[in-house]
Amino acid sequence: MTDTALPLQSQADQRAIAAIRRKNAVWRRILRDPPAAIAALFLVVLVGAAILAPWIAPFDPYASNMRLRLCPIGGARCPDFLLGADNQGRDMLSRILFGLRATLGIGIIAVVVGGGLGALIGLSAAYFRRLDQPLMRLVDVLLSFPSILFGLAIAAVMGTGLFSLVVALSIASVPSIARIARGAAQSIMQQEYMEAGRAVGLGDGALIWRYLALNCWPTILIYMTLQLGQAILLGAALSFLGLGAQPPTAELGSMAADGRKFLSIAPHVSTLPCAAIFLVVLAFNVLGDALRDALDPKLRQ
Amino acid sequence: MISFPVLLGVLLIGFLLLQVVPTDPATVVAGPTATKAEIDAIRNDLGLNEPLWVQFGGYLGRVFQLDLGRSMISNRAVVDEIALTLWPTIELMLACLIWAVPLGITLGTLAARRRGTAIDRAIMAFSVMGVSVPIFWVGLLLIQYVGGAGLLPFQGRNGPIWTADGFMSIILPSLTLGSVFVGPVARMTRTSLLETLGADYVRTARAKGASDWRVTIRHALRNAMIPVVTLVGLQIGFLLGGSIVTETMFAWPGVGRMAVGAITSSDFPLAQGAILILAVGFMAINLLVDVLYAYLDPRIARG
Repeated sequence: MTDTALPLQSQADQRAIAAIRRKNAVWRRILRDPPAAIAALFLVVLVGAAILAPWIAPFDPYASNMRLRLCPIGGARCPDFLLGADNQGRDMLSRILFGLRATLGIGIIAVVVGGGLGALIGLSAAYFRRLDQPLMRLVDVLLSFPSILFGLAIAAVMGTGLFSLVVALSIASVPSIARIARGAAQSIMQQEYMEAGRAVGLGDGALIWRYLALNCWPTILIYMTLQLGQAILLGAALSFLGLGAQPPTAELGSMAADGRKFLSIAPHVSTLPCAAIFLVVLAFNVLGDALRDALDPKLRQ
Repeated sequence: MISFPVLLGVLLIGFLLLQVVPTDPATVVAGPTATKAEIDAIRNDLGLNEPLWVQFGGYLGRVFQLDLGRSMISNRAVVDEIALTLWPTIELMLACLIWAVPLGITLGTLAARRRGTAIDRAIMAFSVMGVSVPIFWVGLLLIQYVGGAGLLPFQGRNGPIWTADGFMSIILPSLTLGSVFVGPVARMTRTSLLETLGADYVRTARAKGASDWRVTIRHALRNAMIPVVTLVGLQIGFLLGGSIVTETMFAWPGVGRMAVGAITSSDFPLAQGAILILAVGFMAINLLVDVLYAYLDPRIARG
């Protein structure tokens, strides 16, 4: 009994060890690349700060005090406000923490929803050969179209607001993820275990989920990271135009637009949210590039 | 070919936009004193009782006759509004491409020639920053430091580009819009040039004793330009997106600013027209890029 169970056990162990090694290799390569390591660390801190914003923000981001209006960074009027106050006398630091939470949250929801849909399209295109042509044509069309126009069209039809913003960003995330998912799934379709799975009588659903999706998801996840930077940038631009998050919501793009009117007297009100967006997107792009190179040098274009 | 379903989709969105107009067109035409029977009669005349797909057919017919309805705010024909704003947008995009593309190609060439050096790393770092910066931050910084110091105008368009005032007023918007464009062009040029520099015909040219820079520019660069033209073509769509933000920031009287204004003020016919023209413009540019492509690479034209 133990004699027959042991080799099986050790085989499973070996597979697990190999899997851990592969995972470690990617991470080790990331850590060996200093800009990517810094970007990853920075993002961990930022995401943590965004999640913990309600607990770590020193003040209420919506509590205004008109006596502290446009107080500069380190101004004598507002010694407790580390990053000064905005045009309503609200604490900039707290607003940026909450803004980060909103901006990151919108981006993540959109990329998860849009990327999930894109992954479904990509996997279906690779699995059902007959769907490949029509689905990928549709994806090409979506991909060629400037995503800000989705934002405009959806804001026009559904009205401006957070929900329209998330819908627009989700649609914008579908095509590139669909392409990547299809590419990854096509190479797995040629593996022998797909054939084996079919031979033992697994249905389409089981094959797609257990064999295709579970093997593709690391690649898809990495491209979602890359897409996240783009989604955040687009979302901020739409909010800046007044088509996304509406004041007084603490969201980085709409905060930047709000502070624009006080550029000459209190530049920090719009510069700080802009700088925050820049750093977040930069970190996602640097990390995404490094992850892509580490995972699959062939995909590099 | 790819444009056809897009065009249909955009037209459908335009049609939907006109459906969500909160006021009933028949009531407006009939006037405030009309009875219910009169309104119903007009509704029949206007074809508003037809099924939606018949109405969509009517809408398509009107669009192809360039009848896009009237703005709900200015009450002028949407086509006239678009005609006014189209040229400023084209002008802004040209004023951006004319410096950003050559600069991007130069930087990319430099990075490829000095591969692995500090120059290469600096140019690539600059390029990543270029794709990460929110375009409105570049605009705000330029407005704050250049416009605020009174060096250049930053509010509106002071005339066509060939007049002195017009030229001065386009500088800051063009710098803003171009700033996000240099990075991707540089990156693509570098990648593409590195590939062609390893090609056989480049080695042949070098063996025949051509100088390094001659090989790079005469033999490699033209072949490396093909993916760059594709990228520029694709990016022009995103340039369109950037121009929407830039126009809004600098009060530039273009299509993008008009579209945003129409959406935020719920002027549905105008929003429909503006989105339609932005999408059609994008498709026209794509067609132009395909033609340019065949010119750069005769192999494509011959199929």
